[in-house]
Amino acid sequence: MLSRLSRLGLALPRSVSVLSTRFVSQSKADSAISSTAVTELYEPVNQSGHGEVSPFAKNPDFHGFSTDPEEDVRNMKMGFFLGISVALVIGGTFIHYLPDHGMRKWARREAERLILLREKEGLPLIEENYYDVSKIILPSSNED
Amino acid sequence: MLKILIPSILLLPSTWLTPQKYLWTTTLSYSLLIASASLMWLATPSETGWSFLNCLMASDPISTPLLVLTCWLLPLMVLASQNHLMLEPINRQRTFISLLISLQIFLILAFSATELIMFYIMFEATLIPTLIIITRWGNQMERLNAGTYFLFYTLAGSLPLLIALLLLQNSTGTLSFFTIPYLPSTCSTPWAHKMWWTACLLAFLIKMPLYGAHLWLPKAHVEAPIAGSMILAAVLLKLGGYGMMRILIILDPLTKELSYPFIILALWGVIMTGSICLRQTDLKALIAYSSVSHMGLVAAGILIQTPWAFTGALILMIAHGLTSSALFCLANTNYERTHSRTMILARGLQTLLPLTAVWWFIATLANLALPPLPNLMGELMIITSLFNWSMWTLILTGLGTLITAGYSLYMFLMTQHGQLPHHLISLNPPHSREHLLLTLHLMPLLLLILKPELIWGWNA
Repeated sequence: MLSRLSRLGLALPRSVSVLSTRFVSQSKADSAISSTAVTELYEPVNQSGHGEVSPFAKNPDFHGFSTDPEEDVRNMKMGFFLGISVALVIGGTFIHYLPDHGMRKWARREAERLILLREKEGLPLIEENYYDVSKIILPSSNED
Repeated sequence: MLKILIPSILLLPSTWLTPQKYLWTTTLSYSLLIASASLMWLATPSETGWSFLNCLMASDPISTPLLVLTCWLLPLMVLASQNHLMLEPINRQRTFISLLISLQIFLILAFSATELIMFYIMFEATLIPTLIIITRWGNQMERLNAGTYFLFYTLAGSLPLLIALLLLQNSTGTLSFFTIPYLPSTCSTPWAHKMWWTACLLAFLIKMPLYGAHLWLPKAHVEAPIAGSMILAAVLLKLGGYGMMRILIILDPLTKELSYPFIILALWGVIMTGSICLRQTDLKALIAYSSVSHMGLVAAGILIQTPWAFTGALILMIAHGLTSSALFCLANTNYERTHSRTMILARGLQTLLPLTAVWWFIATLANLALPPLPNLMGELMIITSLFNWSMWTLILTGLGTLITAGYSLYMFLMTQHGQLPHHLISLNPPHSREHLLLTLHLMPLLLLILKPELIWGWNA
């Protein structure tokens, strides 16, 4: 859109018609040979401690828990020990050695045992009726 | 049951009585101990029956994984919140932790409730601490709007649920989970029955959320502080799914036709919210919409009520809980360093924070449902059972899977790959705390590959 305005270009000062570009020289102003080194675009701001000070500045071993170094280490140790060694490892071992969750392995063994038994006896593998038909009492049809 | 509930309740006085110096250490330690002890719930001897029974609380293969997830999440929330609460006065820190603990208590009671009214009361009770967490500790002005949307969307759905439950209590005299499968269906006039069906399910559909009623979710997830986002994404959405699973038992003959529009809406929502994710500029909003997408698939699975669909829904709920919470934690690590959620402002982080990039990678792979992670197993079971129900759903679910992979990759490539922007001149390295947090999210997910039957629910 700005390029359309360039129809007016020659009538306007050059700085207005090239609004979208900004030329930033990155080479040293006084060197005869253009160097490939880039000078600092942004000067480091000296905030004299009023800005955000990294907690790593005061305590290089900051673990993220507390500004007090001793409590930081203690919290880290408790967290890692209870979280990983107790909860994940001991908890995981507990879960791994749980007996036959939901009786699935038992169900499989029982099914195999019953099938072998019934095939040997010549019985059908499963009865057609889920309930015992003689135990179902139906109301007689002339009652409403 | 009480072995876990009473220690959770007693965490409340312990946060108020612990000296300031040891507050976070003790809270973390005790909540991890409770989480480890909660693994005992996984020792279910029989597949379909109730275990760990007393008159008021019981656990069942559907509620057990959700209970363990709830107990697991509290130490993770404590770990995640520790940094941003460091500068607050000590009593506010204690209040925040008390809110998290009270959420855990209400959620344990909700998932282990044996009576529908108890479940309903706990379902509503979880709204209050979450609302306080969002509106008091959220970081932007929009948090007030977010809290309003969150509260009123859920309440609008759950007041009809209260009426429906009271009606049922009146006509049958009991609402206990042990007996409601055997109740005769309450057939009255067709119109009233349809209203009752809708009233029963609406609250849970809004909570899940179903696509048409999902607007509260991006607002609430984005404006909440990290612990709020974690508990919302990981557990509170699953309250909706769990409630639906429980209540569909009594809605029998009607559900066949009445659920069609909701199934289609849920599947359409998978695609729509997935597409919205591809256009997001806000990282947390992207993760929030991806939650809506995954939960749409869960909702569709639950509504068709076949065994595989229920299993798939349950697996996907657990897997999504861990994955989504991990992604929110990762987004929070970005936010704590750059104080912005805009994705283009924090690109190319792999160069600067390579260890965090590992976690981003694993979490992204989990989100796009890479085999053999349980995310894929759940999605696959839901997709196959939906296909069995109607083969046309394959178009929607297939497209949804494709778009999910698309936006997950988009999120990963945008945040990790590419050139580091010029304004990121110094970012703090990842803390041990952050590594621990993400380990505790993603290791259980990886370990579940080895024993998926823990989260299969009723299925063989």
